[in-house]
Amino acid sequence: MKRVGIIGSGNVGANTAFFIAENRTAHVTLVDIRQGLSTGKALDMMEAGPIRGYGSRLTGADDITAISGHDVVVLAAGRVRKPGENRIDLYLDNSKIVTQLCARIRELAPYAVVINVVEPVDSLTLLAQETLGFHRFKVLGVGGNLDGTRLRYLVSQAVGVSPREVSGLVIGPHRHSMLALKDTIRVSGVPAVFFLGEERLNALIEEMRGAGDTILEMAQHSTSYWAPSAATARLVHALVVDTRTVMSVSVRLEGEYGVTGLCVSVPAVIGIDGVQRIVDAGLSDSEQTAFLAATAELRAVVEQEKARLVAR
Amino acid sequence: MARKKVSILGAGNVGATAAYYIAEKVIADIVMVDVAEGSTRAKALDFLHAGPMRDYDVAIVGSGDVAAIADSDVVVITAGMPRKPGMDRMDLLKVNADVVKGVSRKIAEHAPNAVVIVVTNPLDVMCHVALRTTGFDLRRVMGMAGILDATRLRYFVADAVGCSLADVDAIVLGGHGDQMVPLPRFTTVAGIPITKLMDPATIGKLVDRTRKGGAEIVSYLKSGSAYYAPAAAVAEMVEAVVTDRKHLAPCAAYLRGEYGIENLFIGVPVVLGRNGVERIVELDLSKEEHRQLSASAEVVRQGVAELDTFFTLK
Repeated sequence: MKRVGIIGSGNVGANTAFFIAENRTAHVTLVDIRQGLSTGKALDMMEAGPIRGYGSRLTGADDITAISGHDVVVLAAGRVRKPGENRIDLYLDNSKIVTQLCARIRELAPYAVVINVVEPVDSLTLLAQETLGFHRFKVLGVGGNLDGTRLRYLVSQAVGVSPREVSGLVIGPHRHSMLALKDTIRVSGVPAVFFLGEERLNALIEEMRGAGDTILEMAQHSTSYWAPSAATARLVHALVVDTRTVMSVSVRLEGEYGVTGLCVSVPAVIGIDGVQRIVDAGLSDSEQTAFLAATAELRAVVEQEKARLVAR
Repeated sequence: MARKKVSILGAGNVGATAAYYIAEKVIADIVMVDVAEGSTRAKALDFLHAGPMRDYDVAIVGSGDVAAIADSDVVVITAGMPRKPGMDRMDLLKVNADVVKGVSRKIAEHAPNAVVIVVTNPLDVMCHVALRTTGFDLRRVMGMAGILDATRLRYFVADAVGCSLADVDAIVLGGHGDQMVPLPRFTTVAGIPITKLMDPATIGKLVDRTRKGGAEIVSYLKSGSAYYAPAAAVAEMVEAVVTDRKHLAPCAAYLRGEYGIENLFIGVPVVLGRNGVERIVELDLSKEEHRQLSASAEVVRQGVAELDTFFTLK
């Protein structure tokens, strides 16, 4: 069985471990600098194992060397966004952690596929890829598939069908400028617009755009973590089982979709080596224009972040 | 609150394998009934022996007595003869109409509130037999065909694209047989229509292979026909009803004007839930798609006309 290291045993890290254990597809090592936290959470989950029928081993550690030689490493460390916070402050704090961790991962797990969940996700996936020096298809960020699962849920409820049969690709930056590809929002292959009409579908897309903020406001002291953990575990599952699942992930583009040198979410075939290939979803002209506008905005943000990092 | 109960009439390959898939879902107790009582009881017991390893804590009963289906929530009809070499269509129709009529009477008697899923061929015509004989509400009688045809197309597309099976959705309309109407523009990979991912010639080949999907398996097996995919399709429909899943999938449903078709069972997208066919989804078809569906409906209508030459409720 493949081994997955998760760095950061907070809500997203621990629940990702939980979903992986429930999937029964990989052994998991949880790591956190907070002494004992990972060992405690891993032990708690393993003690649920006889009831839940786990075949995976979950272990916890305080030291990152525990992930040596692992097949997949998930970055779930750093801090989360505070309500109303400017993302650049979050970037400045978390970039330091991501840089340090990636320097260690490069030596400890040089053949791993690395998944970044730390926000702001596109900027930090790019930073991780640059620091690791790994092939761009081996460093992935959780963005589009999280936005997609939220949209798929909302659409399933509006149409009155099971969430299992709703598809929907969300691409672009994991920011307000994200782009839902309307023609891909379907129920068992039938376009959702057929059931909902243009206006109602647009309203659901807007609701999806604000979904993270909605939960942040509702829960007050906590960002969402179930859907992010599920999205991360789904990506891990596709990697370790080599499912070749088509999902939207943040990956460094070098010309695909007309973008170069940025990480943003696009549909890709996910298998054992990371991104096996990027899928051209056949964007309409207006979608392509919106995508390029969103990525241009992201590029400006990334440049600003990098300038601030240098200045500091 | 009692556990749900699913009964399968006919414990041949399709029926027994469907029972297996349903058991693995752990959603209902299962009763298999077949005139071959001994082998049916044996199959049920064999499944139960595997239970401790496979974690299905449901009752599985094999019986030769149809009364065992009492108060089922879902009844699946797989009983009937396969078409044998030299047997003509009409002979098969007569034999199976008789079988389906017989079991439908029993369903009406012992499981009057059940949702009925017909699998016996010729499928669309046998749905008419089950509906007329049970006298059930239209929405509680349906046929398994489109899900099977669609799962074959989904497999072929995933194989051609090199993606996960779970990424692919498909809709196939029409009667079950050569006249089925696969719809490439409603066949998708992660929501992306295959018309954007493949050239028309490749799509044509996959569609053609789907049409002949059953025959391809028969050609390999020499004797006998497919049963894993058909049984999986049955289990999918059973699950949708038992769990009230609100599953959108193509099934044979009784149309009263939808798609311009009156009083006929034919494969269309429906929403399946606890009440059976809870909604018929009427897609905007292109002229060509509509022409193909009408042609398919005409074939089914001829089958019903043949049925009417001999069928009575007596």
